[in-house]
Amino acid sequence: MSIMSYNGSAIVAMKGKDCVAIAADRRFGIQAQTVSMDFQKIFEMAPQLFLGLPGLGTDVQTVSNRLKFRLNLYTLRENRQIKPKTFMSMVSNLLYERRFGPYFVEPIIAGLDPTTSEPFVCSLDLIGCPMEPEDFVVAGTSSEQLYGMCESLWQPNMEPDELFECISQSLLNAVDRDALAGWGAVVHIIEKDKVTTRTLKARMD
Amino acid sequence: MAAGMMYQSGPSRFQSTANMGGDDWLTAEHMTGTSIMAVEFADGVVIGADSRTTTGAYIANRVTDKLTPIHDRIFCCRSGSAAATQAVADVVAYHLNFHSIEMGEPPLVQTAANLFKEICYNNRDDLTAGIICAGWDEREGGQVYTIPLGGMLVRQPFSIGGSGSTYIYGYVDAAFKKGMTKEECLKFTAHSLALAMNRDGSSGGVVRLAAITKDSVERHVILGNELPRFYEG
Repeated sequence: MSIMSYNGSAIVAMKGKDCVAIAADRRFGIQAQTVSMDFQKIFEMAPQLFLGLPGLGTDVQTVSNRLKFRLNLYTLRENRQIKPKTFMSMVSNLLYERRFGPYFVEPIIAGLDPTTSEPFVCSLDLIGCPMEPEDFVVAGTSSEQLYGMCESLWQPNMEPDELFECISQSLLNAVDRDALAGWGAVVHIIEKDKVTTRTLKARMD
Repeated sequence: MAAGMMYQSGPSRFQSTANMGGDDWLTAEHMTGTSIMAVEFADGVVIGADSRTTTGAYIANRVTDKLTPIHDRIFCCRSGSAAATQAVADVVAYHLNFHSIEMGEPPLVQTAANLFKEICYNNRDDLTAGIICAGWDEREGGQVYTIPLGGMLVRQPFSIGGSGSTYIYGYVDAAFKKGMTKEECLKFTAHSLALAMNRDGSSGGVVRLAAITKDSVERHVILGNELPRFYEG
């Protein structure tokens, strides 16, 4: 069995008009067995910068902790909030340091630039290769299903409410075809002046 | 290593290269991971199953019907390999139909169960099939027979099977009572399967139920949002 599918997860992030959204399932399992349905996979790194970590559960927690440590030091030294693109490079660096014994996570970053409020999404592979597309990013055991859903539902310049519907439907229907992801979902909509967090009523199977 | 692989014929060569990068769904067998259950009551049996068929981690069918008719008042609940259990059920149904025409009367549940056992035991090395055979006949009324992986046969007042059953042994032992009515059996089965589907990644979808009595076979479906809900933490 693949290490990346040992615990199971599904994460997706999308760009909208002056906003971004990031969503994840809530399952923590050990192969086929579901152990808990409230496992955190999206972490708030800064007021308008969120990090989603799919993959091996232990590395999800370790990477988020170690990254927060580095980010805290950055913020103290620079005396300002980090830009999303810079944070992407920070994540890439942390992962590549472990090039030949990697962390089994494939991070997704979603946020707004602290000064210009420009939307930003990106994803990285487990050894830190960054990819910054114009539309959406997906990761986890349901990534193939998510690609299908997002490709069909996403349009450019969606308002926050539209974006919420789009990302929710993409996630919910993708995980319904994955035995290792689901059991609840959490969605964050990040706008210039506020972040709305919603838990979705999902199939618990 | 690579040279050795080139000389293998057909499917296995495809398997060895296609499995790189963990693309299980290209090569994995269809499995009904499953939670199945059957309960006897005075006038018949209640049988139930989830509706998920997986190829690796991909859910190939989320509305599967795992309750297969073998004869008018005899059904089986299938778990394990989808191909194996479908093939075995087809063979048993054929033989039972023939036997029933020869005898001129409806077949016994015990006969159907024994046919399952013969096939599952004699081909035990080549099959992954866990089957619960349940139904009603004139002689013994409602009966439940379980035929797990090695091909043994045993009658039980109620039986659970499939990968999801491991999570509900405690629950069914605590909740089962002798002398339940049909409605109580339906509720017991629905609750048990809902709990199993909640914990087992290989089980899910809808709960399919059937109540088999002398007079009829009543089929029910409980959709995802109508399922009983328990602790979700």
